[in-house]
Amino acid sequence: MVLSQFRFVEVGRVAYISYGPDAGKLAVIVDVIDQNRALVDGPCSGVSRKQMNFKALELTSIVMKIPRGLRPGNLRKAWEKQEVQKKWDSTTWAQKIANKKK
Amino acid sequence: MKELHTSQTVKIPKGVSASVKARKVIIKGPRGTLTRTFRHLAVDITMVGKNTVMVEKWFGKHKELAAVRTVCSHIENMIKGVTKGFLYKMRSVYAHFPINCAVQEGGGSVEIRNFLGEKFVRKVGMLPGVSIKPSTQKDEFILEGNDIEAVSTSAALIQQSTTVKNKDIRKFLDGIYVSEKTTVVPSD
Repeated sequence: MVLSQFRFVEVGRVAYISYGPDAGKLAVIVDVIDQNRALVDGPCSGVSRKQMNFKALELTSIVMKIPRGLRPGNLRKAWEKQEVQKKWDSTTWAQKIANKKK
Repeated sequence: MKELHTSQTVKIPKGVSASVKARKVIIKGPRGTLTRTFRHLAVDITMVGKNTVMVEKWFGKHKELAAVRTVCSHIENMIKGVTKGFLYKMRSVYAHFPINCAVQEGGGSVEIRNFLGEKFVRKVGMLPGVSIKPSTQKDEFILEGNDIEAVSTSAALIQQSTTVKNKDIRKFLDGIYVSEKTTVVPSD
């Protein structure tokens, strides 16, 4: 099967929240609710488990290996184990954001 | 209803190279190069590997989904044009007044005289990339080119230039009509 090379919305995709009260934080897509919304959680980045519209999410290149609907406690463990924060900090996207803050 | 995802692929044969950027497709082959833009369509056109083009549509409605396959067909026609070329044969059909066709400008245009005995000389210019020449058969000529749209439009211009006015067209069947659509390089 031929697959295209885009960043897909999938369980485990780490997303950057672009606007709203949690703007600027990272969260993981834990489940897809419908065509427009996802269940999103970021236990290590201060995002409580909630639904978010895809419009507010910008997909990063990081995908975590988690089962669908993983609860926050285990999600935190998986986040730390798979070193998501480290992967994010090493991307040029994150570095540009950090440079802008200076 | 919106379909989550539809896609279709086109396989590029050996000897043909394709490149896609921003919905502009360029196909290069032994007979030349063809370019076509699909910027009026909201589809994703990407190259997967070196010899497959994939056309995708995400969350498409009924009419938008139809565009996926048409883009693939256009690309397939470009590949065919660039490897085999398109050859359209046209025959002049007349009951009493022989239609005189003279090819001008080395195959760039054709002059049609004596259609239905009229003194009016019809001059039809071919689209760029299309050449016309008389064939060995009587009352026949041949249009050749790489771009199927150009060749078929040129043939249509000739056919429509020889329309009969103010007469019963079921009886006055004179004209120049497309008799055969094949390829320049014969396919076995």
